[in-house]
Amino acid sequence: MITTYLFFGFALLAVLGALGLIIFKHPMNGAMSFVMTLISMAGLYALLSAKLIFAIQLIVYAGAIMSLILFIIMFLNIQEKDLPLDPNRWFYLAGGIIVVAPIAGLLIKISKSLPATEVTVFEDGFGGVKEVGQLLFSQWLLPFEIVSILLLVALVGAVVLAGKREVN
Amino acid sequence: MSALDILLVILRIAFGAFVPLSFVAILVWMERRGAAFFQDRAGPNRCNVLGFRAGGLIQNAADGIKLAFKEDVIPGHIKHKFYFVLAPMLVFITALLCFAVIPFADVLILGDKHYIMQAVPMDIGILWFLAVVGFGVYGIILAGWSSHNKYGVLGGLRAAAQVISYEIPMGLALVSLLAVYGTVNLSEMAQFQGRLLFGFIPMWGFVLQPLGVIIFIVAAFAETNRTPFDLAEGESEIVAGYHVEYSSMKFALFFMGEYVAMFVSSALIVTLYFGSYQIPWFNTETLVTYARPVVIAIMLGLPVIGYFFGEWMKRNNRSHYYRENDPRQKETTVYIALLWSLVAILEIVLLIYLVFAHGGVADRILVALLQIGTFLFKTFLMCFVYVWVRWTLPRFRYDQLQKIGWEKLLPLALLNIFITSAIIVSFG
Repeated sequence: MITTYLFFGFALLAVLGALGLIIFKHPMNGAMSFVMTLISMAGLYALLSAKLIFAIQLIVYAGAIMSLILFIIMFLNIQEKDLPLDPNRWFYLAGGIIVVAPIAGLLIKISKSLPATEVTVFEDGFGGVKEVGQLLFSQWLLPFEIVSILLLVALVGAVVLAGKREVN
Repeated sequence: MSALDILLVILRIAFGAFVPLSFVAILVWMERRGAAFFQDRAGPNRCNVLGFRAGGLIQNAADGIKLAFKEDVIPGHIKHKFYFVLAPMLVFITALLCFAVIPFADVLILGDKHYIMQAVPMDIGILWFLAVVGFGVYGIILAGWSSHNKYGVLGGLRAAAQVISYEIPMGLALVSLLAVYGTVNLSEMAQFQGRLLFGFIPMWGFVLQPLGVIIFIVAAFAETNRTPFDLAEGESEIVAGYHVEYSSMKFALFFMGEYVAMFVSSALIVTLYFGSYQIPWFNTETLVTYARPVVIAIMLGLPVIGYFFGEWMKRNNRSHYYRENDPRQKETTVYIALLWSLVAILEIVLLIYLVFAHGGVADRILVALLQIGTFLFKTFLMCFVYVWVRWTLPRFRYDQLQKIGWEKLLPLALLNIFITSAIIVSFG
């Protein structure tokens, strides 16, 4: 099945990107591998027929937030020599592995306990813009509106604060 | 999948890929001729093949050959060669991908099958455009940053900050438009615009959203880095901005990417606000019902248009001083012969349609072709607006640019959302 191959492709890219994020020394390389992870995640959402989440992942995370981060890396012109020296990192790495190992064991146990049945994608329209919108505006109206107003206030506040300096 | 399905998939993808590319040539030509027209000079008029200049279009071929055969230099000081090469590709590919969701004709009904006339029949529509446009910024940032050049970095910073800032008013202008149409699907938006307001005004987006269309067009100009917002490549201050280190086809990709982006955003403006493929007062069903009278009208109209176009060419395509056996008049004669043979071929095709094929599937295909023509014509006019603005307005200062975006367009877009939603809730 083509979706299976696509899934493995996206999953591999996502993991490779995440590895790149922590292994690459140069901030730009790290950021670009993280972009790869985010795009692969969007692909995985699309395979799960969550079209709206796919679009939002691309617009918000891969598009807006990561381009701001790249912008800052470019703006500050961070080079490898600007990064702090970290002589104890192997020690921290070993400690981290020991601390995280039980959680990894838990995750392996969870993934083993998943039933090995064929999973079918929901019927047409699941995850589409209209369906998610209806759910959002009927069951989750109040939280949605509060978050919207919070974002709007932040946006207007930013504009007002940025404009104030010009007046003086 | 039947053979017809596969054929239509290939046709639609070919349309989505090759039409923007062909428009690059047309737009570069239009830019040059437009600039010449606004500055009262002749424009490209020397390049020719055997004396045929095609109104200056041959100049594009000369430019293309020059760029393709130029040495492809990657300057020695560039450390991140991968990003340096990736950047122009990103700019070009993202510009091209945006066109994938724009419908160029109404849903084609062949027998009992429905074909959505988009390169990629996705129903997330405008969200796809917003997503892909966001990736174009990466190309600009990476180009500026990997060039490792002060001008490059400055240009990249300016372009990136500008595109990110203007995405906000653009998105907010879209919110009120989405409230009007009640869908994000561009095909459904286009169908919506086939209706009539009060029974006689076509319900196009700019009638319903007079403020939104202005905000959107201004933001779209800024998104495509076109004058008056082309500070990213302000020649007088930062040479060529983020593509200062590029040469040969890598530069050509930036250059073509700019024109593809201009074509795609024109197509999007047309789709959202100027009725998409809809011919005013003739929606798809009307056209299908009255296919024969429409065809007869076209058959009568074609020779008239051909005649006036030919006369216009005769008047303009001649030497402006006395020359013996004026070569330009010979050129014109050939063009007019070509024009009339084109008219004759079209007339024969339409006649064959009228006599043998009218009704059913042939009507549908004819209407789809008419709508594709309408869509491309409207997009062409919108592209002309881009050229028109570029050669009319001077470049803004950078702080002015940010001020317009944040302090004028953003409050206006928010106001527009409130007014629009109030009207929809109270009257809709």
